[in-house]
Amino acid sequence: MSERPTPEETVATAIAREVVDGETVAVGTLAPVPASGVLLAHFTHAPRARVVIINHPDYWPFRNGSKEFYDFAQRGNFDLFFLSGGQIDRHGNLNLVAVGDPRAPRVRFPGGAGAAMLYYLARRVVVFRLEHTPRIFVERVDVVASPGASPPNVVRPGGPSKVVTPLCVFRFERETRRLVVESLHPGVTRDELASRTGFPLEFAPDAGTAPAPTGAQLATLRGRVRDSLRKVYPRFADAI
Amino acid sequence: MAVAGHVGSDYERLRPEFRVIDNPFAPAERVMLVPAIRPDVALLHAFLAAPDGTLLLDPNEDDALLAQASRAVFASAERLTTVDEVRRAGTGVVLEGVHVTGVVEIPGGARPTLVRGAYAIDLGHVAEYLEAAGDDVAFKDYLARHVGV
Repeated sequence: MSERPTPEETVATAIAREVVDGETVAVGTLAPVPASGVLLAHFTHAPRARVVIINHPDYWPFRNGSKEFYDFAQRGNFDLFFLSGGQIDRHGNLNLVAVGDPRAPRVRFPGGAGAAMLYYLARRVVVFRLEHTPRIFVERVDVVASPGASPPNVVRPGGPSKVVTPLCVFRFERETRRLVVESLHPGVTRDELASRTGFPLEFAPDAGTAPAPTGAQLATLRGRVRDSLRKVYPRFADAI
Repeated sequence: MAVAGHVGSDYERLRPEFRVIDNPFAPAERVMLVPAIRPDVALLHAFLAAPDGTLLLDPNEDDALLAQASRAVFASAERLTTVDEVRRAGTGVVLEGVHVTGVVEIPGGARPTLVRGAYAIDLGHVAEYLEAAGDDVAFKDYLARHVGV
């Protein structure tokens, strides 16, 4: 077993730090890395978190389809949720629709109607993306499927809190509606981060290096977390 | 139907049938309305079905909602049985027969996708389908091999 963390483990560990014990935290579809991070937190510092992982037999408390899940979310019951984007911009806007003109797209994404509700209603949303490149982290998304911020006449108790990648963690500043770098992962320089981000970087005054995953965290991820994850993401669990 | 969120996103621009109005219950708020989807026909696959149309459905899916939205509903089922057994089975969502137009017993009817507790998804077959679906000739060949048309 290598002690060097994989990019997935770095992101999962950073996500685990966002999970607060006692809160209700949910993970949607196609999200094995957030599921890993949430389980890591649940098995360590957040044993009393109420964990919801879509399609996981041990963490799915609903018996009436995804409607029950979405209705639960619309009532504002989730303290923490996770979203991603085909493009993500410095204002926290997510594009889950298309690259280019959406009526003649160069790339078509699966669509973001669920995200356009959850991004507003989950109290904190952590955006995650394993690929940190200028084509993903753009100055302005081509389609705003889910805006990072909304005017006061829109009901929006929640919104983005962090963006986590294998290079860094951004914090979303509600006042300026912009992402600022909160921490860099070990071994990542500011120059490297700038060259792999498609918008000008701003750094928080206290921006430093994030803690590396500990040996104990890696052991939990590669043991108990992987065993649980196999029940819903068997191919991911076997590949990492 | 009112939906939460969405207001101010590009869905307002991309989907003209979505409307944004002042919330009649809180006029300072904007709220999005979307037209209800009313399918002509829904095709479902059930764990169990009774001759009167009562179904036992996967509780992880929205099949009961889909059935109630649709004008006609036809269901295949792993097994046809009595109403009493469907109600007693207790491992899924029971949909009353009043919503269902017709039922037929087709064991394995969800293949190559899955029925929880019965059989897994056949990823090899899904890959074969995706390959064939990109080409008219290949797709006719696929239909001849697997569907018999």
